[in-house]
Amino acid sequence: MQDKLRDIVNKLQAEGAIEYFIGYCPGAGPHLVVPCFVAGEDEVERLVWNPLCLHNLSKYILQARDLEGKVGLLVKGCDARAIVELLKQRQIEREKMVVIGVPCQGQVDPAKLEKVLGVPMEKVKGVEDAGDAFLVSVGEEKQKVPKEQLLREKCFYCKHPTSFEYDSTLGEMIPLSMDADRGEFALVEELEQLPLEERRAFWQKQFARCIRCNACREVCYACYCTECIFDKKTPRWLDKPPLLPENEIYHLIRVLHLAGRCIDCGECERVCPMRIPLSRLYKKVQKDVAELFNYEAGMELDEVLPLVTFELDDQDSFM
Amino acid sequence: MAPEDNERGGDGSEPKILVFACNWCAYAGADLAGVSRLQMPSNCRVIRVMCSARVKPEFVITALSKGLDGVLILGCHPGDCHYSEGNYFTRRRGLFLRGLLEYLGIEPERFQVKWVSASEGAKFAEIVKEVTEKIKALSANRP
Repeated sequence: MQDKLRDIVNKLQAEGAIEYFIGYCPGAGPHLVVPCFVAGEDEVERLVWNPLCLHNLSKYILQARDLEGKVGLLVKGCDARAIVELLKQRQIEREKMVVIGVPCQGQVDPAKLEKVLGVPMEKVKGVEDAGDAFLVSVGEEKQKVPKEQLLREKCFYCKHPTSFEYDSTLGEMIPLSMDADRGEFALVEELEQLPLEERRAFWQKQFARCIRCNACREVCYACYCTECIFDKKTPRWLDKPPLLPENEIYHLIRVLHLAGRCIDCGECERVCPMRIPLSRLYKKVQKDVAELFNYEAGMELDEVLPLVTFELDDQDSFM
Repeated sequence: MAPEDNERGGDGSEPKILVFACNWCAYAGADLAGVSRLQMPSNCRVIRVMCSARVKPEFVITALSKGLDGVLILGCHPGDCHYSEGNYFTRRRGLFLRGLLEYLGIEPERFQVKWVSASEGAKFAEIVKEVTEKIKALSANRP
């Protein structure tokens, strides 16, 4: 698949169809994969595809706004929903990009890998996809680990990889079918069933740990505002010190702004240095938006975002 | 807010409640309640907005996180909005925000949306009484 990707990118560049291509490259170590921007044949050789390609590259497509030509982009089925949203929110034109879909059969959660194999990530030389298992190279030997032990949480509920019309794909885009032993919103429901005080204590504990590094904002595809509300001086919404009330405001405003736009790429939780379980917050938003407004982000291009519209017969039982 | 203010609310002390009232219905309703000399608790601080949809959910979150004990949004009845459809947006946001606040462990009584028309001075007084009582029964929002 990697070779096919390189062929396609080389061909696109030879034709002059794209100015550069956004894909994945090896990072500082063999276990690390980073997003990269390649142009020219020698750079294209660096492109890789493996189960450690975790990033949501859709975020970077916004750079094509300032270009005259087009930008090529590699997306996994789940991340293609971000492009649907960006098009819907009129952030970029479809003509500006050449989108190549990659049939992904699950991504590895590095934290789970470390736990299952008992080795630090630095020792891992690489991970390959082998049907219903991952082949993990540690040192000289290869270990076969069943997928359900290593998969990222979101991969258990893989669906809709075809919500977007790709320019070309590296294979048939089919969702990974995994038998998850719990529902998609199980973690949210678990919290919902706790008494109010315990829930409050749980979130206060999490928010108190936040150092407000803004990593979750920077990595989020939907955070494209030129001036973020948190950076505004007048009015100033947020004080600088990362204290509990401010952290709470920060996370809640982010949740509000992502209502109906969060596509569950899980990037915020992945990059959080404090390991705050942010997906439990954003999953709740997805659940509510689906239940209250019957809406799912990143599916149709001609839908209207749920909180910028209304129905005459919306519920108002508590009002 | 000064730290000593945060110690109010709940356990018999006086809570602070922020009320956003729409200029065309709820604020006129509040005015009517005042002119009619209806008795009501003095815990509410009213901010007049041109439409209940002017109230960004961020206002509610900031108020609650900074230690206010409750936020009440008052608008025109659905269908009666001066700007035709502003309060329909308020209704959607309120619905969504309420679920979110509850999920984060904030008592749902602390955030309410109600419809009050310009002629409903008595209803305004009643809502203020009811909400104040409910919030008094809770402990302080951020002790």
